[in-house]
Amino acid sequence: MLSDPGMRKYLVGWALFGVALLLFPQVATSGTLRIFIFANFIAIFAMSWDILSGRTGYISFGHPFLIGIAAYTSAMLTYHLQTPLYFSIPLGVIATMVGGTLFFLPALRIRGTYFALVTLAFMELMYQLTQVMRPDITGGTRGLSGLPTLLTGALPNYYLSSAVMFVIAFCLWLLIRTRLGTALSAISMDEDAVKSSGLDTTKLKLFAFMVSAFVAGVGGTLYVHYLGSIAPRAIFDINFLFTILIAALLGGASTIIGPIMGAFFLTFLLEYLRPYIPGTERYFIYGSIALIVYVLEPKGLHHIIQRLYGALMRGKQA
Amino acid sequence: MTHIIIQGLLLSGLYALIAVGFTMIFSVGRVLNLAYGVYIMLGGYIYFQCVQVWHLPKAVGFVMAVAAGVAFAVATYQLLVRRLENNPVAVEISTLILAVVMQALIVMIYGAASRTMWPLVNGVWRIEGVAVTYNILIATVASWFILGGLMWFVHKTHLGRAIMAVSMDRKGAMVSGIDPRRISLITWAISGGLGAIAGVFFATYTQLDPSMWVGPLIIAVAVVVIGGIGSIVGSLIVAHLIGFMETITTSLLAAELRGVFTMLLIIIVLIVTPKGLFGREEL
Repeated sequence: MLSDPGMRKYLVGWALFGVALLLFPQVATSGTLRIFIFANFIAIFAMSWDILSGRTGYISFGHPFLIGIAAYTSAMLTYHLQTPLYFSIPLGVIATMVGGTLFFLPALRIRGTYFALVTLAFMELMYQLTQVMRPDITGGTRGLSGLPTLLTGALPNYYLSSAVMFVIAFCLWLLIRTRLGTALSAISMDEDAVKSSGLDTTKLKLFAFMVSAFVAGVGGTLYVHYLGSIAPRAIFDINFLFTILIAALLGGASTIIGPIMGAFFLTFLLEYLRPYIPGTERYFIYGSIALIVYVLEPKGLHHIIQRLYGALMRGKQA
Repeated sequence: MTHIIIQGLLLSGLYALIAVGFTMIFSVGRVLNLAYGVYIMLGGYIYFQCVQVWHLPKAVGFVMAVAAGVAFAVATYQLLVRRLENNPVAVEISTLILAVVMQALIVMIYGAASRTMWPLVNGVWRIEGVAVTYNILIATVASWFILGGLMWFVHKTHLGRAIMAVSMDRKGAMVSGIDPRRISLITWAISGGLGAIAGVFFATYTQLDPSMWVGPLIIAVAVVVIGGIGSIVGSLIVAHLIGFMETITTSLLAAELRGVFTMLLIIIVLIVTPKGLFGREEL
């Protein structure tokens, strides 16, 4: 594996990325770090979306549902039962994987447009249920606040979120390079063909769903214990879904690196626009840029950069 | 009991109007236009701007709202959907992004707070001890007239039949000399206009709010999903199913649970019979 020069080039890239993340706080203010923390979380969620929807082609509009299960499970355990975090976070992740199985059931029968709709319905259902069912436990519309945080301060949180993001990204990247990853992306092209070549697509899909739910669970629990509060409108929301979806699609779906690029690009775009356009107009510009890029190049920034790089290399040779 | 029947009928009429424009696009183009809620929102806000800010006559506000809905729908089709037509998932994603962008635009212009719309007609009508505002009554009766007109249009006019033909068999329609792109464009225009009308009624029934596009969109999705790729009649039946279900939940259980059953119904129907209750086509 290491003898392959292409592989070595990629590993050098990963190492450089890791070192850059490690050294970044030397040059950044704590305000910038907070932006980075947010970008890291969006990157984690976008990767979770990508391993399911980008790879297998089962478009999920309900990822906030998975993230919300993780966040709410851990939040309610720590808030009501004073469960320690090292216990509530794994439980949150397990709950998300159970939720992921629930998510998986419709995928056995329906695909495409209809699958996306069911996932959207799951998200809206949770939004309404958290407000109505037992508001004494879920905190109702206002949610829960004053939750224990894992770490305090920008720097420790930056290191934690970066480390988690980096490890997840690297593992997923390794995963999609295996034969399993190839089989998953084959599902998005022609599920019946994969089935007729003797692979069990149900197991493959279940695997992708579980990995996606696991990543969403880790991200969701850490996110809620970074913020220290949770509310239905902040999680089960189309705008939250929109942020995740845009990060993954703008960066380039099905590439793992793309969603990270998308998450960072968008977070910094928003922050860069802040001095010039302080109000909500930023979201208008942000969405418009995302829409234009998506319509012009559905494969995303990753693809555009790759093409530019390819053109540059050819230019050098000539 | 009378109260449930009356409220249910009124609400269902409005829901049928909301859903029908969405259904039309789905049956002709096989794409889900998640920006449909925007036409509803746009209709409401344009009417508000004309009537309550510029103090123009209500009729002018209505016409402006419909014009805006039609123009925006045509723009959506020409600039966005036509480029992605062979990829329904890309259409869904891009129209969802468009809807969020439009929501941001509305927040930019009108702020995030909700606005109250004056009723189209003032006054209350009492029957059997049930108070019915003239406003919702007018909205429902207008919905029925519009839906009736639409049925007549689709079944009796040449253009309407061409729309039907494209929705049944695109290739077959092409063979008989119909240009499906032109038909799609016309359908989108009609859908935008219907959405805007529904938006004016819906906004007077509830209120104006930058996220008001989500609720009606979900109702429209539910009607399409539960009804399957159906006719206008199919949409009517399901709109009444949902309208009555919500009214019964509101008056017998709790108002907050209203949406929960609609969501559950969507999930169950999609899992059990993906083609919907009245569906006639493959996915």
